[in-house]
Amino acid sequence: MSSETYLEPAGPTSHSAAERLQVAGLYSPSDAVLSVRDLHVRFNSENGVVHAVRGVDFDLMPGKTLGIVGESGSGKSVTSLAIMGLLPPTAEIAGSVRLMGRELLGLNDKAMCAYRGNDIAMVFQDPLSSLTPVFTVGAQITEALTIHNPTMSKQAKEARAVELLAMVGIPSPKDRLKAFPHEFSGGMRQRVMIAIAIANNPRVLIADEPTTALDVTIQAQVLEVLQAAQEETGAAVVMITHDLGVVAGIADDIMVMYAGKPVETGQVDDIYYDPRMPYTMGLLGAVPRVDVAEKTSLVPIDGIPPNLIYTPTGCSFAPRCPLVSDACRAGEPELLPAGGKAGHKAACIKSDALGGDADVLEIFSAPPVPLSRFDAIPRGERATVLELKDVRKHFPLTKGALLKRRIGTVKAVDGLSFDIREGECFSIVGESGSGKTTTLLEIMEFHKDQDGEVVIGGLSNKEATTGKVRSAMRRELQMVFQDPTGALDPRFTVYEVLAEPLQNAGLGNRAIKKRIMELMKLVGLQPDHVNRFPNQFSGGQRQRVGIARALAVNPKLVVLDEPVSALDVSVQAGVINLLDQLRAELGLSYLMVAHDLSVVRHISNRVAVMYLGKIVEIGEVDRVFDNPRHPYTRALLSAIPVPDPQLERTRERIILKGDLPSPLDAPKGCNFATRCPVFEALPAAKQEKCLTLEPPLEFVPASSAAQALEAGRLPSLDQQFACFFPDGELDEDMLVVHETAEPHAP
Amino acid sequence: MLRYLAKRGITYVFMIFLTTSAGYFLAVTSLKPALLEQERIPRPTPEQVANSMRLKGLDPDLSPWERYVEWLTGIVTRWDWGRSPNGAFVNAEFGDRVWISTRLFLASIILTLVIGVALGVYSAARQYKFQDRVITSYSYLAYIVPAPIAYFLVQLGAININETVGERIFFVTGISTPGMEPGWGQFLDMVAHYAVPTVAITLVGWGSYQIAQRQYLLDNVNADFVRTARAKGLTRNQAISRHALRVSFIPVAQSIAFTIPAIFAGGFFAEKIFAWPGVGSWSIDAISLQDVNAATATLAYGSVIFALGAILADFATTLVDPRVRVQ
Repeated sequence: MSSETYLEPAGPTSHSAAERLQVAGLYSPSDAVLSVRDLHVRFNSENGVVHAVRGVDFDLMPGKTLGIVGESGSGKSVTSLAIMGLLPPTAEIAGSVRLMGRELLGLNDKAMCAYRGNDIAMVFQDPLSSLTPVFTVGAQITEALTIHNPTMSKQAKEARAVELLAMVGIPSPKDRLKAFPHEFSGGMRQRVMIAIAIANNPRVLIADEPTTALDVTIQAQVLEVLQAAQEETGAAVVMITHDLGVVAGIADDIMVMYAGKPVETGQVDDIYYDPRMPYTMGLLGAVPRVDVAEKTSLVPIDGIPPNLIYTPTGCSFAPRCPLVSDACRAGEPELLPAGGKAGHKAACIKSDALGGDADVLEIFSAPPVPLSRFDAIPRGERATVLELKDVRKHFPLTKGALLKRRIGTVKAVDGLSFDIREGECFSIVGESGSGKTTTLLEIMEFHKDQDGEVVIGGLSNKEATTGKVRSAMRRELQMVFQDPTGALDPRFTVYEVLAEPLQNAGLGNRAIKKRIMELMKLVGLQPDHVNRFPNQFSGGQRQRVGIARALAVNPKLVVLDEPVSALDVSVQAGVINLLDQLRAELGLSYLMVAHDLSVVRHISNRVAVMYLGKIVEIGEVDRVFDNPRHPYTRALLSAIPVPDPQLERTRERIILKGDLPSPLDAPKGCNFATRCPVFEALPAAKQEKCLTLEPPLEFVPASSAAQALEAGRLPSLDQQFACFFPDGELDEDMLVVHETAEPHAP
Repeated sequence: MLRYLAKRGITYVFMIFLTTSAGYFLAVTSLKPALLEQERIPRPTPEQVANSMRLKGLDPDLSPWERYVEWLTGIVTRWDWGRSPNGAFVNAEFGDRVWISTRLFLASIILTLVIGVALGVYSAARQYKFQDRVITSYSYLAYIVPAPIAYFLVQLGAININETVGERIFFVTGISTPGMEPGWGQFLDMVAHYAVPTVAITLVGWGSYQIAQRQYLLDNVNADFVRTARAKGLTRNQAISRHALRVSFIPVAQSIAFTIPAIFAGGFFAEKIFAWPGVGSWSIDAISLQDVNAATATLAYGSVIFALGAILADFATTLVDPRVRVQ
């Protein structure tokens, strides 16, 4: 392959690759710690050469943070691994990577080792698999010190390891040195990874999706630790993420990548408030906002990213872009100054037209917010489709091989009661381990020996003695699963997947065929694709097949278990819009479990917040999100990053201490007392009450609520919470505000 | 740790008791030594046969349950595993046989393990290179070739060496030359007898360890934690040898439990071909001679070896994997 293949088309500012490199070398700012110029990465695959990174340029200034944003396959992780020299030897890397003026590309593994972990360090995505399971945490930190400081004494290394663990917020660090990774939770392991990365005071720290695998509350903790580590070491940070919220508050500059190329770069405010590339605009519009009550449709970006085996001849985003014209397909646009601000560049020939008041919803022709026929009927007058009365699921914890002794009880679900009315979306939120999934399983179980009553469409589990009742229940309730790839049999065609529930319901072949065609159209798939296998569809399309399968038997209630968490942002928006539309058109009710509170707020009418098997707050979604009363809800909401840099920089955050406690250690009184920011600040007498009495789920005091309702501050009265001191002061240690001076004041 | 081992020990004693009892019932209902007695010349009368059997504690007229109780009482009270139809005491015979088997297999088991794991690591580090292809192809060959044929080939090789040198260096069968004086001569004689069977069993045996160790190490070479180690500043090879190796040994350590008893109790071919009368050949002989007590004893021995192997594997796993350590 000749080097000509990735040349830009002739234009006034184009240079050959060699010229660009030279120019870059001459003009790259001398004070940059990391300068990347014209980075290209190619992999040989069975289908041909994948050109994964196609010309990345950036300069990283000391102490600054660069956010690289993109969807899976955009080349952001490959870029970071190429900089670190951690790509497999089969990868072809071209271009220039200069760390403090020294060229890193072309160095062999051994020479690279002098820099890796010393001047440039990295934190990886999955903390569960990134630490060696058979070595102690202390040994793994000390190893990083030993490699680069062979003369350091054993005591000095141990002292430094303790200091590092303390810095990343691990309690009693000295004892924890001897602990193995499996004794740590995911959040703690990510802290250890950060400690290893900053052990030698690196100049550059690359964090590759460091919080993607973690709960929101833990994500907030880890982001806080990363920021503290940056302040401590003065390192420049490259933050790689798909979540526009995560980088909004901490990045100085943003680079948006698409199909292996940066498509827009600039200072953080310019990117968020004045995007000049349709892809960036779409990404920003595709994310629901947790802090906005007014409902608008999300921006769906149709199609999927291009296959990088074939070099794009035009703009790589053209096939998905609503503004595409023939000029876009004529050649790949260069990254050129846009918007007028220094450093703001976009790779779009129409960037000038996209300024200021361009409405992203209009550009991407987002569907109007669908209205359900039930919306006009007050909730109390609608029929109940699902009711849970005091449902409990306790797992006995036993010890002993032959004779099992009960040594404790895990109260996975502990006395849950709620109901779902027609046409309503009810969501359950909480950290992992809070009992959300167990609740769903208890509903799906539908057995008469369950502890508590589950009523689905008028059928109670207490009467579910025959298979007949249970199969009648299955026609009322269907489920959509989290991972669309795992939930579809790879050897079934879509037709077979959709026909199975219909055959079970006893339909004839002709009726089945007709229904399947209807379903395909309903979920926005082409009816002639029914004979394809699931692996011939993209993730978003597979989830649509999953939704069609659930809808096949016309259920009244659909249970959604994290329906969009496995999907990319731009695809996620399309699926959420579809769910919204189906609810309105078919009068469905949803029971959704999700960890992404922004998605929950966007799609739900009511929400329940769970903590250790109990509902701590429940009510109308806007009411709970705008006026959370339980300290846990407040912490959860404050932990979610919002894609709004100015808001993020000044927002007050409640950072909970530690992880979700083991259900075995649950206190006698309020479950949340061990981590509660209000409890911490209470006088001892009041603390006693929290520790000994269990707060019941109660309505907001009538008088104050009525006042608030009258003043128009609250949309309705539907809100209950379980806390004795909802108005208590918050503990100051758990409050974090980053009142950084506006870095880019206009 | 001791408490854990004691607990496992008790579990295994219980399991050994169950398998041995089940084995005894199977043997006592299917093996009829009295039938063989009738082939003697002059043919004894049924009364004479029954009498001689009764004297050896093998009364065919008793019900299986009665014989089981009698047999078990003998073991529990006197550690007496009964007698063979030819009158030999199982205890005495057993002691000799176990000692022979142990001597035959112990050295080769250790060699098999060490060589197999070492070659697995070596070939994984040179994946798809010439050395890897040669070693791994050999291992698959050793898998495919039936053990007796491989043993014969080694024997032939040893005979060839003897002939080329013109002097008998290796003994291809037997345990020792009778009537040697204790001392240097006897030691050399022992080595000459040991060499051929040990080499043969080792050559055949290491293949499975090599293939397993190579596979598990390759599975871990691209693991996230190896990438972390490299990000700290270790070279690829350092990261693999320090981080991936120990993790990859965990499943190999567990597999030891199942190969050791297989070698010990299933060493029938080796014992026959090299004429070392050990437990393996005894167990086959016992069945053909309708010997209830000896067959059961070899079964019990197999269970004990299996339990020892399993405890050893637990021990090894605990040593390399902190996640399974009991607090």
